[in-house]
Amino acid sequence: MKKLFTTIIAVFSLVLALTLTSCGKKQLTIWVGSECVDFYQEKCDAYVENYNATHEEAFPTSIKVLGVDAGAAAQQYLNDVEAGPDIFTIPHDNMGKLTAGSSNIYPIRSQSLIDQINNDNPDAFIDVIQASVQGTSYYFGVPYIAQSLVLFYNADVLTAEDVKTWEGISAKAKSVSTNDKLVKAADLLGDDGFNNSFLLLAKYFDADNNLTTSVKIYENGVEDANMVHGDDTMAALKWGARYFKVENGATIAGGIGKAGSSGWETDLKDGYALSLIGGAWNYKAAKAALGTKLGIAVLPQFTITEADAYGTISAGTVFQSGSFADCKCFVLKKGSAYQQYLEDIVQYLSSVSMQEEAFTAVANLPAYKNAAEEFAAMKADTLDAKLSSCQIKMFEYGIAQPFGFAQKYNTRYYSKNTPGLIYAWLTGVNSEYALTDAGLMELLQYCESVWSTGETK
Amino acid sequence: MERAAKKPFFHRVGAWFARLGKSIAKPFKRFGLRFKNGSIYTKISYLLMGFGNISRGQIGKGLVFFLIQVAFILLMVLCPTINNTPLGYKAYINIVTLGTNEGDAFTHGDNSTLMLLFGVMMIILTFVFIAVYVANTRSSEKTDQIVKKGETIYEYRSDMHLLVEQYSEKLSHLSLNKEEVLAGLVSRTDQLIEENRRLPDFRDKYVENLKNALEKLEKEDASVDVAKKEILKVVDQEAKELIALPAFKDDLHSLLDGQFHMTMMVPAILMIVIFTLLPTTFMICVAFTNYDAAHQGTLFDWTGFATFVQIFNGSGTEISKMFFPVLGWTMIWAFIATFTNYFLGIFLALLINKKGIKAKVLWRTVFIMTIALPQFITLLAVRNILSNRGPINQLLINLGIISSGVEFLGMATSGLTARITVLIINLWIGVPYTMLQTSGILMNIPKDLYEAATIDGANKWQMFRSITFPYIIFVTTPYLISSFVGNITSFNIIYLLTGGGPNNPGYYAGKTDLLVTWLYKLTMDQMEYNTAAVISIMTFIITATITLIFYSKSKAFNEEDSFQ
Amino acid sequence: MKGELTVVQDQREKTASYKAQKTVGLIFSYILLVILSIVWLYPILWIILNAFRTELNDQGDLIGVVVSNYFPKRVGFDNFKTLFTTTAFPRWFLNTLLVASASCVLSTLFTLSVAYVMSKLEFSWRKTYLRFAMILGLFPGFMSIMAIYYILKAFGLTHSLFALILVNASGAGLGFYVAKGFFDVVPNSLVESARIDGATNAQIFFKIILPLSKPIIIYTALLAFTGPWMDFIFARVILGVENKESLTVAVGLYDMIYGNHADTNVFTTFCAGCTIVSIPIVTLFLSMQKYYIEGVTAGSVK
Repeated sequence: MKKLFTTIIAVFSLVLALTLTSCGKKQLTIWVGSECVDFYQEKCDAYVENYNATHEEAFPTSIKVLGVDAGAAAQQYLNDVEAGPDIFTIPHDNMGKLTAGSSNIYPIRSQSLIDQINNDNPDAFIDVIQASVQGTSYYFGVPYIAQSLVLFYNADVLTAEDVKTWEGISAKAKSVSTNDKLVKAADLLGDDGFNNSFLLLAKYFDADNNLTTSVKIYENGVEDANMVHGDDTMAALKWGARYFKVENGATIAGGIGKAGSSGWETDLKDGYALSLIGGAWNYKAAKAALGTKLGIAVLPQFTITEADAYGTISAGTVFQSGSFADCKCFVLKKGSAYQQYLEDIVQYLSSVSMQEEAFTAVANLPAYKNAAEEFAAMKADTLDAKLSSCQIKMFEYGIAQPFGFAQKYNTRYYSKNTPGLIYAWLTGVNSEYALTDAGLMELLQYCESVWSTGETK
Repeated sequence: MERAAKKPFFHRVGAWFARLGKSIAKPFKRFGLRFKNGSIYTKISYLLMGFGNISRGQIGKGLVFFLIQVAFILLMVLCPTINNTPLGYKAYINIVTLGTNEGDAFTHGDNSTLMLLFGVMMIILTFVFIAVYVANTRSSEKTDQIVKKGETIYEYRSDMHLLVEQYSEKLSHLSLNKEEVLAGLVSRTDQLIEENRRLPDFRDKYVENLKNALEKLEKEDASVDVAKKEILKVVDQEAKELIALPAFKDDLHSLLDGQFHMTMMVPAILMIVIFTLLPTTFMICVAFTNYDAAHQGTLFDWTGFATFVQIFNGSGTEISKMFFPVLGWTMIWAFIATFTNYFLGIFLALLINKKGIKAKVLWRTVFIMTIALPQFITLLAVRNILSNRGPINQLLINLGIISSGVEFLGMATSGLTARITVLIINLWIGVPYTMLQTSGILMNIPKDLYEAATIDGANKWQMFRSITFPYIIFVTTPYLISSFVGNITSFNIIYLLTGGGPNNPGYYAGKTDLLVTWLYKLTMDQMEYNTAAVISIMTFIITATITLIFYSKSKAFNEEDSFQ
Repeated sequence: MKGELTVVQDQREKTASYKAQKTVGLIFSYILLVILSIVWLYPILWIILNAFRTELNDQGDLIGVVVSNYFPKRVGFDNFKTLFTTTAFPRWFLNTLLVASASCVLSTLFTLSVAYVMSKLEFSWRKTYLRFAMILGLFPGFMSIMAIYYILKAFGLTHSLFALILVNASGAGLGFYVAKGFFDVVPNSLVESARIDGATNAQIFFKIILPLSKPIIIYTALLAFTGPWMDFIFARVILGVENKESLTVAVGLYDMIYGNHADTNVFTTFCAGCTIVSIPIVTLFLSMQKYYIEGVTAGSVK
C-alpha cells in the first residue's frame, strides 16, 4: 500500500509541475505553416529588437512563432477564438468561415497596410480577401504566399514536348502500358474540386487565339453568378470523361484518375502513373519518389476531337488546363491583447523584401505580383525555381477560389460535394447521371443551382 | 416477484408510472411536513441554511451549509463571466434566448454555444444546490429530534437527583440496603419511561451502570458523600451521552464508515457529472437547435423537432437521404460481425484447447497480439497492406488471381467489396476476444455432462452438438447481446480502415459508414452539430432498446435453474 | 459400474486405428493453427519490417512509401533516425507515459471504489446510480467532445496533458461492471465478520478487500494504462494543433500519415514509431495476460 501511495503522489506532483510550467504568461503568438517556423521566428525576433531600438518604450512582450496545419488551425480557431494566436495564416478560401456572421477575425484598418496590399498584390487576390460584415466591406487578410497547381512528372519517360499536351502524356502512358501493368497519364490527389478543377476551369483559345471561358463561379462575389454549362465546359468535360473512365475497377491505360489507396508517390515511383497534378506541398514527396527523374511543368493543354465537340466548340479547339490559384494570408485575432501592434508586424512580415527572403530561404511562393520579374532567385535554373515559375505561369490560367466572399459559398461548393458528383460522372462509377450529353447537362445545371441556392434535391 | 415479471407489459408500465408518481410526490410531502413540525430553528434554516445546526452548536456542519448558500446566491446574483459569457441568473435567460447580440466587425457578439452550455451547467448546479438545501433541512430536523430527546433526559436527570437526595439516608448503610436502593432507582426510572415512552433502550444500560457503581462502592466501603457523587456521576454521564449532538469530527469520521459510500462515490460522480452528464445533456439540447455549419461562429437558435422531422420527410438533406441506408448497414454489420466473430472465436478456442495440442499459451499469445497492439497501428497496417499497390495485391498478382491492383477498402468501386472486406478484417480483430471468453467457459463445462454422454455412447461430434455447444450458447447469450450493442457503436475499425468510403457522391455518409462514424464526420469535419446530435440520440434509442430487452431476458435466464 | 466403463473406453483408445485417426486430427489442427497464426501475424510483422526498410531512390533519398514487396530490399535504422530527428517523438512518448500513468492511477481508483460500493454497500440511491450509469453509458461520446472542450476551457485547462488525464479518468465511474462482478463473488461473510470485529467500512475496503483484489486491480489498471496509447480522437481535440511538443504518440503518429497535407512518404517512419510504441505496451500486456484473460472471461458471463 505504502509503495502505491508513494507512486500516486510522485505521479501527481509530476503532473502538477508540468501543468504549472505550461501555464506561462501570454505571449504574442503567430501561427505559420510548419515548414517556415524558424524563418519567421528569426524575423520576429529581429522585429522586436528593432522596435526596442527605435521606440522609447520597449515592445510589451516577446513573439512566439508556432507551426500548424492551416486547415486544422482555422477549425480550432473557430471553435475557440480565445485560444487562437494573435496572428495566423490561412488559405484565403478558409476566410469565409472566419468572417461569417459578425466575423471572428479583425479587419485591417491601417491605411499604410491597405496601401501595401493594393500596391503589391494581384487584383484577383485583393478581390478575395475582402468580406462584408453588416453591410460594410473590409480587408480581412494580408496575402503573402501564393499557390496553384502544377504538373510533377516522370522526366525519364516523358519529354518536355510530351508534357505540353495531355494527349502526348496519354500516348506515352499507353505505349509503356502492358497487359499486366496499366500506366496512368496522371494521378489526381482527390476528387474535392480543387484537384479536378483543371477540367472545370479549363480555358480555350478562341478564333483570335485569346484564352476564353464561359465559366463563372460566384463571379465578383455575386451569389448566383454561376455558369458551368456553357458549350466549352461541356466539351472539356466530355473530353475528360474519356480519360477518367474506370473499367473493371481500374483507371484505363493512359487515363487520368485519383491516386489509389497506396498513395500517388507509389504510383509515380513504380511507374503506374507518369505525372501528378499537385501543389507545392507535394514537392518534397515527389522528389523522394522520383529522385533525379522529377520534372515540373505547367498543366498541359488538350484538343477537342469530333467525339467531344459540343455546340459552338468544334473539333480541333485547344484548351488550356485551369487551376484554382490561391493565396495564403495573415489574419488578425479579434480581441487580441496586442491589437495595436499586430498590423505593423503583419506589414513587416508581408513586405516585398520579406517575401523575397522567404522565397529564398523556405521556398514560399510570393504573393507579390511582380515577383517573377523582380526576384533574382526566381530566374535560377533549379527545380525550386522551376516550381515557382510554373506556379506563377498557372496564375494566368487560373482563378482565385472565390469563396472568401462568404462562408456559404465555400460550404455550397465543397461541402455539398458537387465536385464529387462531377468526378463520379467523369469516371462513370456510382454516378446518378447518365454518361451522355443530356446527363452531363443535367448534372452541371444541378451543380449551378446548388452553388447559387445551397439547396440539394 | 417472479409472478410480477410475467404480468402484461402495459400493466408493468402503468404500475411503474404510479410508483414514479408516488416517489416524486413523497419528498415534497416530507419537505412540507418537516417545516410544519420543525422547531423555530428548523423553520429559520429553511431560509438561512445551517442555522439549525449552528444554533445548536454544530458550528462546522452549519458553516458548510451556510457557505454553500452564500456562494450559490453570490453566483446567482453577481453572474461572473467566463469567456465573456455570464453564469448565474443571466445564464437562465441566455439558455432561452441563446444570445441576441450579433456583435460587429470589431467586437465579439454573444456566444450561443457557451450560453447553451452554461445554461445547462446552471440547471445542473441548481439541482445540486436543491439537494444540499434539502439535506440542510433534514439535518436541522435531526438536531430537533435529538434536542427533544435531551429535554426529556434533563427532566429525568433532575428527578434522579431528587431521588438520590431522598435515599442518602439509606446510602450511608450502603452495604445493607444495596438491593433496596437499586430497586428504588429503577422503579422510578421505569415510571419515567412509562410517562415518556421514549427511553427504553436507555433503561438497561442505566441499570447496568448503576449496579456497577453500587458494587464498586460496596467494595471500597465509601462514605455517603462519595456514594452520592458516584451515583449522580452515572446519571449525568448517561444523560450527557444521550443528548450529545454529533460533533463535526464525528461527521467526518462517519465518511470512513457509515457514509463510506459517499467518500467513494462523490469524486467519481463529480467527474461523471462534469465530463459526461453535462456534455451529454448539452448534446441532447443541440439536437433541438439549428447549430450547424452555417451557424458556426454566429448565433444559433432553438428550432424544436425540425431536425428530427428531416429523418422522415425526404427533404433531400443529408439526414433524410442517408439515415435509413446507414442504419440498415449498421444493423447488418452488427449482426454479421457478432455472429461471425462468435462462431470463429469458439472454433479457435476449441482448436487451441483441443486435447493433445502443445504450447497452448504460445498459440493464444499469437492471437491476442491484435488485442495487445493499439488499433490505430494494426488497422492502419492492414489498410496499407491491402492498398492497391500493397503486398497483398502483389501476392494475388503473382499468384495469377488478378491482373492489376484492386481496391478493397475505402476506394473500392463497389460498396459490397468494401463491406465484405471490413467484415473479414473485423474477424482479425474480434475473434481473439471471443476466443479468450469462450476458452474460460469451455474449461468450466461440468465434467459430469460428458460422463453422462459417454454412458449414452455419444461420439465426439454428438457430444459437441448436444453438450458443448448448447452450454456455450446458454452461458454466452448475455455476451452475444452486449457484443451486438458494442458492434453497433464500433468506431475504430471503420474509421481507420475505410473512413466510411467508398463515397456516396453528394453525401458525407459513405457506403461503409456506421451511425457512429457518420456522426463523427458530421461533428468533427462538417460541423453539422444538430444533425449529429439527432443521430446520437437515435443511436442511443436503438442501443438502449436492445439493452433493455437484454436485461428483461437475462432476468428470465437467471430465474431458470438449468439450461436443459 | 463407473470403473467398468472407463476400462472399456481405455481399450478403445488403445486400438491402432483410433490412434492413427487421432494423430491425423492433431496434425490437421496444427496445420490449421500455423496457417491462422501466419494470417494473424502477417500485418504485424509487416510493420516491423517496414520500420527497418530503407530502400533508396536514385538520389539516395529514403523512399518511405508503401511498397509492394513484403520483405525489404535494404534494411537499416534510418527510419528511427528520421523519427528522432525530424519529429518530437521522444517528447510524445514521455507525454503519453505520463498521461497513461496518471490516468491509470485515477481511473483504477474510481473504478474500484465505485464497483466496491455498488457491490457490497447498501444505501438509498444505489439502484438509481446503477440505472443512471447504464443510460449515460449508452450515448455515443463524439458529439459531446466539443462540450467537453468548452468545459475544460472554463476551468482554463485546454491544450494541456492534465486536461487529458482528467478526461481519461472521468469515465472510470461508469465502467465498473467487470470489477463489480469480481467483488460480487467475494463472500459477504468476510465483510460481516470484519464488521463484527469493529472495523469501519474504510478499513474493510483498504485492509481486507483490496489486498484480495490483485487480479482485478491489475486488469483495471492495465486497461486504463493502455487506453491513452490508443486514443487518437479525444486527445487530438483536447491537446490542440499548435504545439507539436504536447501531443501523445497516438495523435502524433496518426497525424503523421493522415493529417491534412501529410507527407505519405513517411510511412516507414510511422512504422518505426509504431514499433517503438508497441514494445512497452505489448510487453506489459503479455506479461499481464493472465489477469487480462481472467477479467475478460469474468466479463463475458456476467
